[in-house]
Amino acid sequence: MGDLVEPLVHGLTLGSLYAMVATGLALMFGVVRLINFAHGEFYMLGGYAFWYAYGELGLPYPVAALVATAAMGAFGLVYERSVIRTILPRTWHVQLIATLATSITLTNLAILVFGTQPKEVPTTLSSAILEVGGVRMAWQRLVVLVAAVVIFAGLEWFVTRAKLGKAMRAMSQNREACAVVGVDVQRVALATFGLSAALAGGAAALVSPLFNIFPDVGALLTLKAFAAVIVGGLGFVKGAIAAAFLIGVAESLAAGYLSYAYKDAIAFVVMVAVLLVRPQGLFGRRIGI
Amino acid sequence: MTATWRTAIGVVGGLALVLAGDLPGARAQSAPAIRVGFSSAMTGPSAITGEGVKWAAQMLADEYNARGGIMGRKIELYFGDNAGTPGEAVSAVRKLVDVDRVDVIIGQTHSGACLGALPVVKELAVPMVIEACSHPKIRELIGKNGNEWAFRVNPDDVMLASQFAKHMAQSTKTVSIFAQNDDFGRGAAAAYDVAFKKNGIKLVSTEFFDRGQADYRPVLTRVKRANPESVLLVMLASEGSVFMRQFREVGLTQKLYARGSMATVEFLYQVRDSPSIADGLVEATYWTPALDPAWEKQWLERWKVPVRVHGSLAAIAFRYAVAPAIEQAIKKTGRSDRKAIRDALEEIDIPNTPVGRIKFDDTHQAFINMLLVEISGGQLKVLEKIPIQP
Repeated sequence: MGDLVEPLVHGLTLGSLYAMVATGLALMFGVVRLINFAHGEFYMLGGYAFWYAYGELGLPYPVAALVATAAMGAFGLVYERSVIRTILPRTWHVQLIATLATSITLTNLAILVFGTQPKEVPTTLSSAILEVGGVRMAWQRLVVLVAAVVIFAGLEWFVTRAKLGKAMRAMSQNREACAVVGVDVQRVALATFGLSAALAGGAAALVSPLFNIFPDVGALLTLKAFAAVIVGGLGFVKGAIAAAFLIGVAESLAAGYLSYAYKDAIAFVVMVAVLLVRPQGLFGRRIGI
Repeated sequence: MTATWRTAIGVVGGLALVLAGDLPGARAQSAPAIRVGFSSAMTGPSAITGEGVKWAAQMLADEYNARGGIMGRKIELYFGDNAGTPGEAVSAVRKLVDVDRVDVIIGQTHSGACLGALPVVKELAVPMVIEACSHPKIRELIGKNGNEWAFRVNPDDVMLASQFAKHMAQSTKTVSIFAQNDDFGRGAAAAYDVAFKKNGIKLVSTEFFDRGQADYRPVLTRVKRANPESVLLVMLASEGSVFMRQFREVGLTQKLYARGSMATVEFLYQVRDSPSIADGLVEATYWTPALDPAWEKQWLERWKVPVRVHGSLAAIAFRYAVAPAIEQAIKKTGRSDRKAIRDALEEIDIPNTPVGRIKFDDTHQAFINMLLVEISGGQLKVLEKIPIQP
């Protein structure tokens, strides 16, 4: 039993990370129809912000996590105003190149500013071990799982109840109609990028105590989150969350029982398999968050 | 001061400068600089190695140039980024040769990059001194085996494995290998597979991982199921810290052996909040700071972080192979071009270096000492120095 529980726990932790990053990607695509290839780098920057707040300034963990989340939220706003707003009216080719260029620039800036030495930010909870029925795991993993549930519940409330959230949903269904009825579409797009980047920052603050932070950490993460967005149905946030957990668990089981060397391929195998059977994604429907 | 006086002083000063240019010392100053290229991973998941190489190169250039260069010729540095991959290594070599017009290259740090660079080094006829690539196949390609332009200072994994497996056999009968999924990791895993068989050690499983992994727990669960007495890690310090934390998280207690850069100050710096986390780990290596404390001190003062192993290996290659070869080439031929440096590299014999004797055999391989270094109480301890025989 322990043999199955352990990979499931790892898979759910990984799935939480993928889900928080994929949610941001899905939100952006849903609201402004743009794929942000720099989204993994938002996670990377969030990790460095957390490292600085927790490791360098010595702030308590919850405060440092909030600082990293808020810093990335602010970064998302700046990114929208400086890069996205300029390229939104252009073709998808321009958008693709611009976000890819941002990704490369941010990675190399991180090398210049923070150096190449991976940053470690272990917390008390990442070295404290919880043992249940022969399964051992760091308490931090439990924090990740619980926080993910709270964050997704909060997000659900936000997009269904809050005025801004409702505006995001409306824009994901029909941007032109929103503009006609007086919704400030630029402000909603701005908020979407702030929220998406904050989610990536929050994910980094939760997961960094378990893993390292280094300049390249976001590259593969973007691709896996993108796979989750496709599997879940492009632009459908709940679908992306479910698909991210599916990919995390599939990866963990494959790494535990098949081959660890090919575990990174699993996300894409799942994506191709789903696309063959359901080209619109597992939960595919008309685009809309 | 009047305008006439100012003009007179200007003329005298100008004449003095012109005359000074004819002095022997000044002639030496104007001798063409020696252009040295360093190629390593400056970007990508292995960028930490390239940063170390770059820092070491800057320290070396400052040191040599402060005392007038080599035979009066200044050292100029150029860098190539191989990103740790074979394809980028080809671009890095071409850039160093075609654009920077270097006289000699030190690199490529990573085995895959080395294997990628070898054909282009031969094609462009530029000497390359390998400082840290341990893939056994490299020796089958260089020197009399086909590529007369490449030389290797460090031992390969076949040489290391035969000695290390003997040491391991004293205390272990079953082992799992956990190695990087690249040429370095796969080359080492194959070499240890053979060495374990020769020494009566049963290999119960071999797992590979891609660099930059976040979560090793699934594979650690597999190791737990296989339950070997020991685990041989083929990994670098940057991955090692996360791996060790998860190793302890899962509750594994196996004896650890390593190849890569685990028993290093780089690794101990990464795990400085729990320095004893890898106590008992023994690594087969060929460099440790205890071999050259002055270098370590100089590094710490300049860069404020612990000395990096790959930068130090590049420094060894420069100090005890490339610099003596350049000096010999100039003394013998009056030239420091690529052909003269290559020929001199074949002839140098430096008996007392911190890593042992550096003399290349007809396969252009040097035979420096192997070290067994243990992490004990969060400190590095040299257990044994083993000379490697040709």
